[in-house]
Amino acid sequence: MESILLWLAAVFLAPFFSAVILKIKAFFAGKKGPPLLINYYTLIKLFKKGSVYSKSTTVVFKMGPVISCATALTVLLFLPIAGHAPVFSFNGDVILILYLMGLGRFFTIAAAMDTASPFEGMGAAREAYFPIICEAAMFMILIFFYRMTGALSLSAYFAGTGSLALWQIAGAPLLFIVIAFFIILLTENSRVPVDDPATHLELTMIHEVMVLDHSGPDFALIELGSFCKLFFYAAITSQLMVPFDTGLPGLGLVLFLAGLLIVYMIVGVVESAIARYRMDKVPQFVLTSFALAFFATIITLELIT
Amino acid sequence: MSHFFAAISLILAGGLLSLVLARHHVFSRAVSAILISAGCVWGLVDAVAKLSGSVIHSASFPYLNLFFLAFEMDKLSVFFLVVIFLICLLAAVYSFHYMDDPNSSVKTAVTGFFFSLLVVSMALVVTADNMITFLLAWEIMSLSSFFLVIYNYHSAENRKAGFLYFVFSHVGAMCIFAGFGIMYGYTGSFGFANMALIPETAKIIVFIFCFIGFGSKAGVFPFHVWLPHAHPAAPSHISAVMSGVMIKIGIYGILRIYALLNFHTPVFGNLVLAAGVISGILGVVYALGQQDIKRLLAYSSIENIGIVLIGIGIGMIGVSAGNPLMAVLGFSGGLFHVLNHAVFKSLLFMGAGMVVHKTGTRSIDALGGLLKSMKITGTAFIIGSLAICGLPPFNGFASEFFIFMGGFKGIALDNVPFVMSSIAVISLAVIGGLALACFTRVIGIVFQGEPRSKAAENKKETGSSMLFSMGTLAVACVVIGIFPGIFFKMALSAVSALNLGYARIPLAPFEHIAGNISFAALLFLVVVLVVTGIRSVFYAKKPLSRSGTWGCGFTQPTVKMQYTGSSYAFDIIGFFRAAAPLEEDHPPVTGRFPAATHYKSRVYDIAERYMNMVAVRPVMYLFDKLRWIQHGDIHLYIGYILLAIILLLFFI
Repeated sequence: MESILLWLAAVFLAPFFSAVILKIKAFFAGKKGPPLLINYYTLIKLFKKGSVYSKSTTVVFKMGPVISCATALTVLLFLPIAGHAPVFSFNGDVILILYLMGLGRFFTIAAAMDTASPFEGMGAAREAYFPIICEAAMFMILIFFYRMTGALSLSAYFAGTGSLALWQIAGAPLLFIVIAFFIILLTENSRVPVDDPATHLELTMIHEVMVLDHSGPDFALIELGSFCKLFFYAAITSQLMVPFDTGLPGLGLVLFLAGLLIVYMIVGVVESAIARYRMDKVPQFVLTSFALAFFATIITLELIT
Repeated sequence: MSHFFAAISLILAGGLLSLVLARHHVFSRAVSAILISAGCVWGLVDAVAKLSGSVIHSASFPYLNLFFLAFEMDKLSVFFLVVIFLICLLAAVYSFHYMDDPNSSVKTAVTGFFFSLLVVSMALVVTADNMITFLLAWEIMSLSSFFLVIYNYHSAENRKAGFLYFVFSHVGAMCIFAGFGIMYGYTGSFGFANMALIPETAKIIVFIFCFIGFGSKAGVFPFHVWLPHAHPAAPSHISAVMSGVMIKIGIYGILRIYALLNFHTPVFGNLVLAAGVISGILGVVYALGQQDIKRLLAYSSIENIGIVLIGIGIGMIGVSAGNPLMAVLGFSGGLFHVLNHAVFKSLLFMGAGMVVHKTGTRSIDALGGLLKSMKITGTAFIIGSLAICGLPPFNGFASEFFIFMGGFKGIALDNVPFVMSSIAVISLAVIGGLALACFTRVIGIVFQGEPRSKAAENKKETGSSMLFSMGTLAVACVVIGIFPGIFFKMALSAVSALNLGYARIPLAPFEHIAGNISFAALLFLVVVLVVTGIRSVFYAKKPLSRSGTWGCGFTQPTVKMQYTGSSYAFDIIGFFRAAAPLEEDHPPVTGRFPAATHYKSRVYDIAERYMNMVAVRPVMYLFDKLRWIQHGDIHLYIGYILLAIILLLFFI
């Protein structure tokens, strides 16, 4: 019951946290920025509207938003929030999560290709490219976690005293993992320096250009899905950064939320401080995360046998 | 065994009658399709029944008074029989409407005959119980498929493909002969029974020979060169059988030899796993670079053979490292993928067959927007693509999940098994990502967007038998994906025939994993339903309008401006340029009034490129030097034969 409530809270709070990034960016630009509830206003506005469909599109175009939103919601069901057990969990759920996200990506790409727009095709090609390297890095991190815990589920890593135990066994390599995971967060969620969601030129976008033709409730579902996806990655990063298990139910939640805010703020700071990389430099950036996870695993081989 | 022989006689009768009735075009097709599929149904029912039984059926017949043709159906054979009969059944049904060109009725009849021969010979290979029977059936299989490859012999390209296939299958067969010869040298009998008794060094040599031989049939890199040429050249239902089933017979051979040798050295596992990783990654990279839809699917078969070998390699490493759970997960995952790949790859080839049949072109960049006019084909093709990318809730995910579980079991080990398992897991992930790029490309370019040429405009899908086969396979992809339990049990019982020395494989842990997959699939479908419900609530009584695609301010878009398959794959191919060199031909645009220019690109297969340098040229050189032996005089040739026999007499 508690887990379901936390899941609902995560879904409803995800848009709020994404607005934190906008606030931070506005702060660095010396602007006031949009209100913190901006994403809710946008979602409500979009849900009220109707839609315009391109004459080129088929039913796949309408399935894209549904599937990408559904995968994000399903993935959150397996996420332990604030150290609580997730709604569902089984051995191997991490692999399912990664492949579900792949399914979401498949449909986002297919929906983009459905419009016959060259810009969307360009975005789709990039969306297909970068996650390949991300996936390799992700599985490297999984190998690390598997060596540590002998399990393949998020709840074994992050629920209860899981994350604290990880720090106690392998603190130093875990630092690498946190950075590696943060890089994956930036890449998978189309943030700067991989993708710029706020640029004005369609040629230079990845995710935003793929959803150009979506409108109304369809677009709202896509937005909600991407908020949830970012929340998923940020929650894991927060769990890794603030692993304390105090035993007091309230305090744990507060610490988790604080960690979450910090992660979103760091994303905002990164977006304000550096520019987007040239597209052909992105693979090197993502490979850094693979290398970090790789070294972390190597170190644990020596230290913890 | 009588049911089995009755089934294959029925299939053979179908093929023969198709030849006899060759002049009556429709009648001949109908008779052969009905008899072959009836035989397949019979064989399939028999095989499924035997899979649950525990008796090993065998039969043997004297042949030429010297040898015995011996057959045996253990669980491994029966598992492969299920795959063979299932896919060939649907291919036979599909062929009825596919081979509908009334002007080539004789060619159609001949195709029907060789098709039946191919089905029968594959069934005989997997049931053969001595070397003679095995090699006899193996040769019939290679030759009948050779004649199917050169079906369209008027085109020089197809004749070349056929020749390449002929050479490769016989060099491969030569390696198998060598391996079997060594075994015969030690045991002195053609039977498979005493193979476990030969010395260990000999076992390694035998395994390597057989691995090369069977691997060249299975399309393992770098022995795959024939595959992307030969598979697209055949008619599509034959491509479906060749890619879906025939290459798996190579996998069967590897497994059978492994079981017979009963030698659990780490060498085998590492060899198989390394071959799997290389074939898997390079197969899909080359697939991504192809312009021809059928050739793309052929390369993707190489990728999937890689995945199967990764599973089997994990299994072998598990055995040698003494980790039964890892071993069983790896083997059964690999075998399960054999079944799953047979289902979705034949589905994809049949879908591609429909596209090629109706549009007359195999070039991806000439197609587009076909989903609007070919709804069933398009949907089935999308389901097949989702399955081949290993995405839940489809069947590809189920088998990859088991292989992953096996791979992670190996990560808990130390030293070499740890390194090999890590490589296996990461390359499986990379293969998954690349397959996603590859198949979103096919769907995006071929089925979505707008038609890129006249060929793709307003093409209707016709032929109920073709649609039936595709529909059945698409449903199978979903059903196996959501309820993998019973199908996985088939693979599990095949593992029990592998001589691993485990007394009884407990079902509980595997049923638990299968249950988790079912649960996750159903959970996801429920969430999708809920989201769809929410969506329809928000769209109730809303104005929906249709308009042109947003051109980012440009108001006169044409279909030529769409992203092409080549540009879609360009960056990824660039990342792998060391293994997949891209050659471009693009005269630059010059002057104020530029003349017409063009752009051509081609991705080279390094195995094909270097095969010429490493193998073909030295062999040509050598045989050029030996040319003086050839006189064209028959007396001299008889003399050679006599001389050879006399020389051989010294060794007896």
